[in-house]
Amino acid sequence: MSHTYDRDGEDSFNMAYFGDHVHLATFNQILEMDEDGEHDFSEPLVFNFFEQADETFENMDVALAAEDLDELSKLGHFLKGSSATLGFTKIKDSCQVIQQYGHKQTVEGTAEPDKAVCLGKIKEAINTLKTDKIDLEKTIKKFFGIEDK
Amino acid sequence: MPPDLDAAAAQAGNNSSDFVRKLYKMLEDPSYNSVVRWSADGDSFVVLENEKFTKTILPKHFKHSNFASFVRQLNKYDFHKVRHNEESGDTPYGRDAWEFRHPEFRADRKDNLDNIRRKAPAPRKPTQAEDAFPATQQIVVLSESLAATQHQIQALQEQYFELAQTNKVLVNEVVSLQKMVRAQSQVSNELITHLNNIEDRRRNSRHSNHSSHSSHSGPSFHPSTLGLLPDGADEPAPELRRAREILNGVSPDSQADRDLERLSVAYHQNGSPSDSATSSVMFTQPGAPPQMPLVHDPINDPRHMVYPVGQTTGIDPFHSDHIHNIPYSRPLSNPNIMTEAPSQSSPPAKEQFVSLWGSKKPKILLVEDDKTCARIGSKFLSNVDCSVETARNGLEAVDKINHESDRFDLIFMDIIMPHLDGVSATAMIRMVAPRIPIIAMTSNIRQEDIQTYFQYGMNDVLAKPFTRDGMVRILKKHLSYMLKDPQPIGLGADDTNQTAGAPGPGPPNSAGGYGGSGPAGVAMATMAGGGQVKFEQTPIQSPATTSSWHSPSQMPHTSPTLDSSGYMSAQIGSGPGGIVLTPGGTQRPPYANQVVPQVGTPTLGRMPDGMGLGDDRPEKRQRLYGPSQGQYVQ
Repeated sequence: MSHTYDRDGEDSFNMAYFGDHVHLATFNQILEMDEDGEHDFSEPLVFNFFEQADETFENMDVALAAEDLDELSKLGHFLKGSSATLGFTKIKDSCQVIQQYGHKQTVEGTAEPDKAVCLGKIKEAINTLKTDKIDLEKTIKKFFGIEDK
Repeated sequence: MPPDLDAAAAQAGNNSSDFVRKLYKMLEDPSYNSVVRWSADGDSFVVLENEKFTKTILPKHFKHSNFASFVRQLNKYDFHKVRHNEESGDTPYGRDAWEFRHPEFRADRKDNLDNIRRKAPAPRKPTQAEDAFPATQQIVVLSESLAATQHQIQALQEQYFELAQTNKVLVNEVVSLQKMVRAQSQVSNELITHLNNIEDRRRNSRHSNHSSHSSHSGPSFHPSTLGLLPDGADEPAPELRRAREILNGVSPDSQADRDLERLSVAYHQNGSPSDSATSSVMFTQPGAPPQMPLVHDPINDPRHMVYPVGQTTGIDPFHSDHIHNIPYSRPLSNPNIMTEAPSQSSPPAKEQFVSLWGSKKPKILLVEDDKTCARIGSKFLSNVDCSVETARNGLEAVDKINHESDRFDLIFMDIIMPHLDGVSATAMIRMVAPRIPIIAMTSNIRQEDIQTYFQYGMNDVLAKPFTRDGMVRILKKHLSYMLKDPQPIGLGADDTNQTAGAPGPGPPNSAGGYGGSGPAGVAMATMAGGGQVKFEQTPIQSPATTSSWHSPSQMPHTSPTLDSSGYMSAQIGSGPGGIVLTPGGTQRPPYANQVVPQVGTPTLGRMPDGMGLGDDRPEKRQRLYGPSQGQYVQ
């Protein structure tokens, strides 16, 4: 799959390509930082993010086992920042869920005092997060023309 | 006639020309001659008697009795009505006759019937192909506008939530005020009673002094009769009476009270009672002036609106985390949210920015704990020809500034960071670098948050996730004096901006203590845009300002806006008018301890606000006081 840069077609191409995983305007401005169609900025950036995500997942698992809501919220917030800046919408949304329930709040901001409920929601969100990340990573690898091992 | 052709025709006919065959068959029947028949030339057929045809022939041959359907069917097979009137004016078959013609449908060409087919729905196919591209375009547009709408709805929900919160606070406030007032009136009653008693006793004693011999006539009678005594004894009495009358006269509006009661009960059931608790504490302390908050609140409120003009128009509607690049500062740039996507696809801006700056390129400090965000931010900044250094947390940032306070022209500061958060770091940086614009980068852009940022000396907010355009906008606004061509900013305050900025970031001492009202401060005013009218109210409600600047001339001035035109042009950008004009200046004192009076002085009305803020984000409050308490290791 070739990735010649054709500005007009790019957006619609990407749209079809990434589906709802990626906020295109945001991701495109990252791609725009690349020089002449080489992904020398965006590619390492994105894969560093995936590493960062994997580390965060591990920390989340630990915090979940320890039922440490504060830590979970913090981790959610942490990953939310970078995923949002990259435009990785689905990941960002799950992070938001984790951050909120870590604060014992629903996504809408109302209080959820039941810790078990919060942990349940967070567990769910972490699972979604992991699946979404795997899907996204595959798509992105294809996009950058990298073969999956 | 070749048989193979015939066979082919028959085959095709089975499929397509049933209707035509029926039609032909019907016309073969001579008994219908008076109702429907071939025309004289045999190239068309005529329905002579519409009604009879519909009632008798249609049901027999076409299993319905609807002439309109029949005509529609004919049209589908490309038959056309023959119009006689238009052509010649003569109507050979009578006025009510309908003549239909198809070029292939002839009395003498029964074999040709198969060539009469339904009109193909062919035209659609090509157009569909043509539509395909616009359709995807439309989907893009639609989904974008849908997303925008969703954002708006979400933002509205959040706004609603905040309003509800505010309302709750207000109701609690009113309830506690009510209690206060009731207590006050009770106290007054007690006092009056007490005074009455004293009065009586005094009168009695005087009376007995002066006329001890005539004792039993009753004290109440004497004051009126004895002309000499009243001076001391009689006069206060009517005042006391009046006071009591007034007190008794103020009967509470019980209906309103009940409604309020219901509201406050409802709120207590829903939410945290802490609000009312704190506010009632607040209001029992002062004792003497329970009315003051009421008097001051309306004046105080506009002040809340003053610096963040964007607060209502810029932030609130869009303060969701999910929105990219919310232009906090200028109502003007709100549409960005909508136009962001399109604007992304116009990269030529790149070239334009290479030459953005004058002789000196801005040095930016980017304080951000997240590697990814830091890299993206650095890239965006270097992409617009700024030199960038990064710090991974507040402590690193403070170190850098302590080391060389005027090294940077602007700081982008994350808020939530390990070791030292951005707000605390800002407060510390302000001690050595009062002027440098510090921009909060955060997804916490609720108005209480923003208020906190400004109170601790930040100048602006860049919503996260940030965009390149958002960063550029901030740079242009706060570093306008470094632009090669400052024109594009094109704001009314541009002139002041330049004059204030002209001294450059180097010597901040020109303006003495209020170095804060340098370019940044002016930019704040700029940011407020048309909000200057509102500032007219600031001198009334900002006692901190008057006291700190010792400006006796300020109170007499009714309109600081006038001041500003006078003083600002005289290069005293930070004269009394200037300061009042730029709330950022007052909100952003160089030293943290000046913040305290700022928060504290403007009457009680403000306090519950602050409390609510604390309630909302306890973790932030904690971390304001240093790294020791922060369990936020990262």
